[in-house]
Amino acid sequence: MMRNHYIKLGFIIAVIAYCIWQIYPPDKKIKKGLDLQGGVHIVLEVQQPPEQDKSMSDVTQRALEIIRNRVDGLGVSEPVIQKEGTNRIIVDLPGIKDTQRAIDVIGKTALLEFRLVEEDTKKLTDALKGDSEVLKDYEVLYTQQKDERGIRREATPILVKRQPELTGAGLTDAFVGYGPSGFPEVNFVLNKEGAAKFAEVTEKNIGKRLAIVLDGVVKSAPVIRDRIPDGRGQISGDFTMDEAKELAVVLRAGALPAKVDIIYQQIVGPTLGKEYIEKSLRASLYGVIVVVIFMVIYYYAFGLLADFAMAMNLLILLAFMSLFKGVLTLPGIAGIALTCGMAVDANILIFERIREELRSGKSAKAAIEAGYHRAWSAILDSNITTIITSAILFFLGEGSVKGFGLTLSVGIIANLFTAVFATKAIVDFAVANRSIEKLRI
Amino acid sequence: MELIKNTRFDFIGKRKFAYLFSLAIIVIGMIVFGMRGKANFGIDFVGGDIVQIKFSTASSIVAVRNELKKLNIPEITVQEIGTEHNEFVIKSPPKTSDEILGVLETSFGKEHFTVMAKSVISPSMSVTLRKRALTAFFAGLIGILLYLTIRFEFHFAVCATIAIFHDLLIVIAILAISHKIIDGTIIAALLTIAGYSVNDTIVIFDRIRENLRKTRSKNYAELFNQSINETLSRTVLTVLTVIFVDVLLLIFGGEPLKNFAYTLLFGFFFGAYSSIFIASAILIDWQKRSGFRFKL
Repeated sequence: MMRNHYIKLGFIIAVIAYCIWQIYPPDKKIKKGLDLQGGVHIVLEVQQPPEQDKSMSDVTQRALEIIRNRVDGLGVSEPVIQKEGTNRIIVDLPGIKDTQRAIDVIGKTALLEFRLVEEDTKKLTDALKGDSEVLKDYEVLYTQQKDERGIRREATPILVKRQPELTGAGLTDAFVGYGPSGFPEVNFVLNKEGAAKFAEVTEKNIGKRLAIVLDGVVKSAPVIRDRIPDGRGQISGDFTMDEAKELAVVLRAGALPAKVDIIYQQIVGPTLGKEYIEKSLRASLYGVIVVVIFMVIYYYAFGLLADFAMAMNLLILLAFMSLFKGVLTLPGIAGIALTCGMAVDANILIFERIREELRSGKSAKAAIEAGYHRAWSAILDSNITTIITSAILFFLGEGSVKGFGLTLSVGIIANLFTAVFATKAIVDFAVANRSIEKLRI
Repeated sequence: MELIKNTRFDFIGKRKFAYLFSLAIIVIGMIVFGMRGKANFGIDFVGGDIVQIKFSTASSIVAVRNELKKLNIPEITVQEIGTEHNEFVIKSPPKTSDEILGVLETSFGKEHFTVMAKSVISPSMSVTLRKRALTAFFAGLIGILLYLTIRFEFHFAVCATIAIFHDLLIVIAILAISHKIIDGTIIAALLTIAGYSVNDTIVIFDRIRENLRKTRSKNYAELFNQSINETLSRTVLTVLTVIFVDVLLLIFGGEPLKNFAYTLLFGFFFGAYSSIFIASAILIDWQKRSGFRFKL
């Protein structure tokens, strides 16, 4: 009999030791969610591309791969990029500082086109009026200029051919350089095929202007002075250094196969998360301390036992998070604190039952046995219903709510082990081989 | 220590008052809810932008509002948070946050404030989130209903589910009356309430089940009262411990946890209340009306 007790106690100690090893050091082992460490969470919706025959799912998959390349260019440590449904892409960039740049890089279609400019001003005026004859072959695009606030506004209209001579699909490299006047610009290199086409186009159209169009905006429209044989060129156009770098990143990664819309965007600055962590941890700590003290006042030694079970519950929960790379979010911290408040519930049910059994005249040992035995069904049922709802939060919740569902679910499952099995093992060990006259509970 | 011992309250006899009390809160709350319309919901469910900014020095909310009036966008709301008069949350219609930040930059200077957080939710995403929240609700309720039907019996399960509905309605009513906004986090709180509310009900039902098996008595009202009284100490204590934690989260948890903890506070309280005055009481009334026998 005694041997049995030692095995159980040994098991409990082993679980605790393993959990501590798994958690330590918590700063490194427990992943913090976006709301706690700052960063960006974006949901993109891929629009139906003009070619109707392509499956939406494939288009989204291609867009996802290109976005992954772009994100790699940003140098984020642990990005999460995943497909949701057939036409949505979720991008998580934890810890990123320059959030606006990241969003620009991800959301840009980055379709680079080279289109010949039509100089006939009459045709341009007709096209602006909506002349369908001209618009069959040509299209009016605009250049952009920065206003006093640095926001780009449409400036000059330019009439270009509808059919691009060449697209950025044949691009092999793009990097930042400086133009003759010292402003940053983006240099690009075309592959063999692209270079050949580029050479042909430039040769045939010497003296004409070739518009460099990015996502429907004319970046520049230089005059072709000579045949360009090596497939090299520059895109200039009023860039800041950051904008030029950004453009180089997206051009290297390639254009998205379709337009994407940012339908959900959550940005958390790095300082806010810190503030959240401090406050929520402090509040949780206070809450837990109050419960710990209350249990001891109300149930004496048994209260201490429940507190031990609660601490163990917390350890298992954190170890699980560390082991399965669960993400700790702000509602997650609240979930952990509430789990502590609920963790003692099972013990309250047991202890109250023991008191009841004592009142009905049972001996101390018999009351403990009956207390644990008879409280079990209520504990099991109530924990399972809580697991049902918290699991649903985990599967259907968005972002930080998911983290709350996870901590609550795991906390409640661990509760069955700590509050029932572990405390029973310790009580059994304590009362074994001893005759107890009166139970103080 | 033992605070609650050998009580003999006639809970079942007082149930009509409880019905009236609950009904009053729900009716008033739903009227307010109906009048507020879209204002009940956060941007998660109706779409829109939220920007949280912090000035380096104290600033007045009136100044911020006046600057934003220049934009001529209806439905911009500015709310002050924290205690230092330098942090504001600006809520606006979809895709307007960039303009708002532009105006603030020109009027106050880019270097005088930082963007602490920003959320942009398009109407199409909000539809998804709304659907998902509703799915979560019904999945949760059906899950609980099924589980309780298996573990207890159908009548018990239905009454426990009615109690959950009651708790959620009351909490939503209180949220509307106190002008809170329902967003994703509040939905999480509401589902937590659903899960927790049923816990208290189960403790009582578990005892009713046990007592029903022990006796052949057909005086159900007395048997229910006895069961509620026997478990009263448990009901109060389990709720008390979780309320301790929740109140401290409410006081010290900071801005984002405030509404979450506030919602849970009422949820936990009414969860315990409804397990006695709604779940058990309706079960008795139902039994009286249709005279079924408990098959346990």
